[in-house]
Amino acid sequence: MWSKLRMIKTAIANKIYSPILSAITNKMKITKIGEFEELVLLTVIVLQREAYGVAIKKELEERIGNSISVGSIQSALKRMEEKGFLTSHFGEATAKRGGKRKRIYSATPAGHSVLARMKEIRAGLWSSISDLSPGFSFG
Amino acid sequence: MKEQPPDPRPPQWPLSFMRWAIREDYLEEIEGDMEEVFQDNLERYSLKKTKRLYTVETLKLLRPAILKHFNPQSFVPPTAMFRHNLLISYRGFLRNKTSFLINLIGLSTGLACTLLIYLWVADELSVDSFHEIDPQLYQVKLHIQKEENIQTEDDTPALLAQAMAEEMPEVEAAVVINADFCKPEGILSHEGQIQASNGLFASSNFFEQLSYPLIEGNTAYVLSDKRNIVLSEDIAIKMFLSAEKAMGKTLTWKFQFDGETFEEIVQVAGVYEDPPDNASLQFDAVAHFDLLIKADRWAGHWSGSYAKTLLVLKKDTDIQTFNDKIGDFLFTSSQLPWRKNSKVFVQQYSQQYLHGTYENGVQLGGRIVYVRLFSIVALFILLIACINFMNLSTAQASTKMKEIGVKKAIGASRRELIWQFLSESMLMAVLSFFLAFCLVLLILPHFNELTDKSIRLVFEPNVLISLAGIVLFTGFVAGSYPAFYLSGFDPISVLKGRRSSSAGEQWIRQGLVIFQFTLSVILIVGVLVVKQQMTYIQTKHLGFQRDHVISFLMGNSNKAPALFLRELKQIPGVVLASNMNGNILSGYDNQSGYSWRGEEADKKFRFQAPRIGYDVIETLGMEMLEGRSFSREFNDGTSHIIINETALQLMQLDNPIGTTIGYGSETREIIGLVKDFHYGSIHRQVEPLIFRFRNGGRDILVNIQAGTEKATISQIEDLYETFHPGFPFSFSFLDQEYQQLYEAEERVAALSGYFAILAILISCLGLFGLTAFMAERRSKEIGIRKILGASIWGITRMLSLSFTKMVLLAILIALPIGYLIANRWLESFAYRIELHWWLFMIAAVTALLIAWLTVGFQTYRAARIDPVLCLRDE
Repeated sequence: MWSKLRMIKTAIANKIYSPILSAITNKMKITKIGEFEELVLLTVIVLQREAYGVAIKKELEERIGNSISVGSIQSALKRMEEKGFLTSHFGEATAKRGGKRKRIYSATPAGHSVLARMKEIRAGLWSSISDLSPGFSFG
Repeated sequence: MKEQPPDPRPPQWPLSFMRWAIREDYLEEIEGDMEEVFQDNLERYSLKKTKRLYTVETLKLLRPAILKHFNPQSFVPPTAMFRHNLLISYRGFLRNKTSFLINLIGLSTGLACTLLIYLWVADELSVDSFHEIDPQLYQVKLHIQKEENIQTEDDTPALLAQAMAEEMPEVEAAVVINADFCKPEGILSHEGQIQASNGLFASSNFFEQLSYPLIEGNTAYVLSDKRNIVLSEDIAIKMFLSAEKAMGKTLTWKFQFDGETFEEIVQVAGVYEDPPDNASLQFDAVAHFDLLIKADRWAGHWSGSYAKTLLVLKKDTDIQTFNDKIGDFLFTSSQLPWRKNSKVFVQQYSQQYLHGTYENGVQLGGRIVYVRLFSIVALFILLIACINFMNLSTAQASTKMKEIGVKKAIGASRRELIWQFLSESMLMAVLSFFLAFCLVLLILPHFNELTDKSIRLVFEPNVLISLAGIVLFTGFVAGSYPAFYLSGFDPISVLKGRRSSSAGEQWIRQGLVIFQFTLSVILIVGVLVVKQQMTYIQTKHLGFQRDHVISFLMGNSNKAPALFLRELKQIPGVVLASNMNGNILSGYDNQSGYSWRGEEADKKFRFQAPRIGYDVIETLGMEMLEGRSFSREFNDGTSHIIINETALQLMQLDNPIGTTIGYGSETREIIGLVKDFHYGSIHRQVEPLIFRFRNGGRDILVNIQAGTEKATISQIEDLYETFHPGFPFSFSFLDQEYQQLYEAEERVAALSGYFAILAILISCLGLFGLTAFMAERRSKEIGIRKILGASIWGITRMLSLSFTKMVLLAILIALPIGYLIANRWLESFAYRIELHWWLFMIAAVTALLIAWLTVGFQTYRAARIDPVLCLRDE
């Protein structure tokens, strides 16, 4: 009974509060994305229609050169989905997955903009470094 | 490429763990991912390594974002449901104040009764169990084969202990204490300080083996010398201000037993803590057993039974085998032919307080009967109170139906609803418990007075556990039926408002009321029978007069009783005064060895054989049927005896007066025949009795002119003091003493009376609540009936009828059960009342009247209602 009540509450929360809430929070923590999350988000965009858990994991492992656990990929995906950087839908099921369906992720406009913003911040920082070249002295 | 293993499935337990731990909506995706990774790994690594990797990966899944329980939205504090239930219960209490109060009063009274009985039972069970060696401590007893039955006695020869300790390998130690009849009662004096004492003779290892801790002195030596005495802390403080100061002091000890007085100079060698309240042996001075032998040489012989023998048996001794082995021990050790009838056996020392009654050699209860009886009564009362709760909550089902319907409709499971109702009844039980606790604190002093105990509320872990157990039990029993019943409603019909109480539910509710009243009626019958029997015993003519007769013991042994008696008779208020050996009410004097046909077989018969002086028969107003009583004019001596009717029947003498019968090598002449009277307990039949003549008895009986008791007794006291300086004058009225003999029964009678009243009150409380509720629910029906012309009387009758039927049925069930129980109880009395029909009639009528009063008030009020008031809302 309690779980039913909770579901009603959740539904109400999702329909009414969360757009408002997410509008506010989006404004507030628009740049709030972790480093690993950023990598995962980028990978999702790279992989396009093939962006599901294992594919992302393989792609990143190849690029980083280290093994990454399913757990860390999944938790990053879920967090970003909650923050509104990602959306997802179920894809096809394969025998290799024991008949379980894939979940295909794609970046939302918010995801794209957060990436762009991160890139901008970094580029700004880098350019600041090139301005102050190593040979510069205060003398 | 490696060979494909036959079953490339992920390991089972990490999979199950994952399914349990991961949020349901993520599970399919993550499980798929894991499986895919597993299959990938399988191509690269061995199956074993793959499985291990899978397990490691599973553990790495434990992240807040994907776990079930760490998701903040799904987290419910575990107390939420509980708080919700409490709130609902609280609102329920506020809404139905009457039934809440009825439940509270009923349950708390019931619980208070149960608590009191629990305390009493726990106290009874704890008696004598405080000895450290309790599991090994046994008392030696004797089954003595008599002509007609087997009698069981505690008294053994003092020599038995040592003999058993020496010859039986199972015996670690043997302790001797005096038998009850030679208990040294007397006074201790030290430089003018006088203190009455109730002493004990014991063997020197007494303090070593039993747990009476010494404050001063060494357990091994305190009783090593027969000139030593060990005092209780109480006596030591009273006489010497402290235990320490008492050590080494010299005392004069004057003590009496069996009508004789002795005087000894003794030295204080130790002080022990006062025996605890739950010790059956209470004594304030302990002296060496040899002093008893010195006072009465038969105490040290095999033929005298002056001692109680306690054995400390080795651990793991099989008592059955041991008892088989020692059966003839007394006969073989003593070499006395007449000891052949005595079969020796042991009983655990702490058991004999509760299991002390033997009949014909078989253990037959004892106080344990009362312990069981009251435990059952406690359970009954608690059940009756719980039934009130059940009935009221199911009766109010209609008011709860909507709540249940709504809860079920939004997904409440039956289990959750059961919990809700159980927590309501638990809350009720806890509230009532606190009230009951306060009640117990208030009542306890009176209860102690009533039961002659000194029970205190001590919060030891086991007590607390028991109390918690009682509360949980009450909550569960009271709540179980409503919980299972109410939670079973069909939500659709409930919300449509179609549900009406089914026949089955009615049946159960009525059944419960019937059960309640059955218990109550049984209790009423029980109380009536007990009361009747007690009145019967108290007013029964014992064959002698016990009103206005006082008895006391002569103090100083130097003075002959005859002179004292002569002086006594000079006092104006004294009708008659006489002396005898031992007490007429609790007498134990007996003898065998008489022969009236000149046959050896006669000698086996045992007669009660009190030793009396002149005028005892007249003082006690006994009736002489033939012949005469002992008289100075005939110069009666030991060769003259008086027999009672039962003895005459046994001997079958045609012309008893003047007949001479044999006693050993001597002869005895019967000079009188006395009407049967009771010598000793009324639990026994009147036995054959022979009065022997002795002029030196020190138990004085004085028959006092009615109405002059106070003045006469003070004069007797003055006379006593001039004759026996230094001895306290303590007398008792025979009728009061007689009552004390039946104290246990008296207490049971009083207690069961109170409990029966409470039981019926609690039952009526429930009935009251039920009627009130019924009347309210049927108010529309009553309104319509009144409009159509029904009279108040007619409606009252209609409403009362169903309750009357229930109570009548309960009476019908209860009376036979009550009859059986009462009959069983009465069987323990040799003289008992007849179970007349009117006794049961009274119980039935009482129950019915009380029920009618309860119901009548409510129904009359309901019937008087203005029909406009109850019909206007539609």
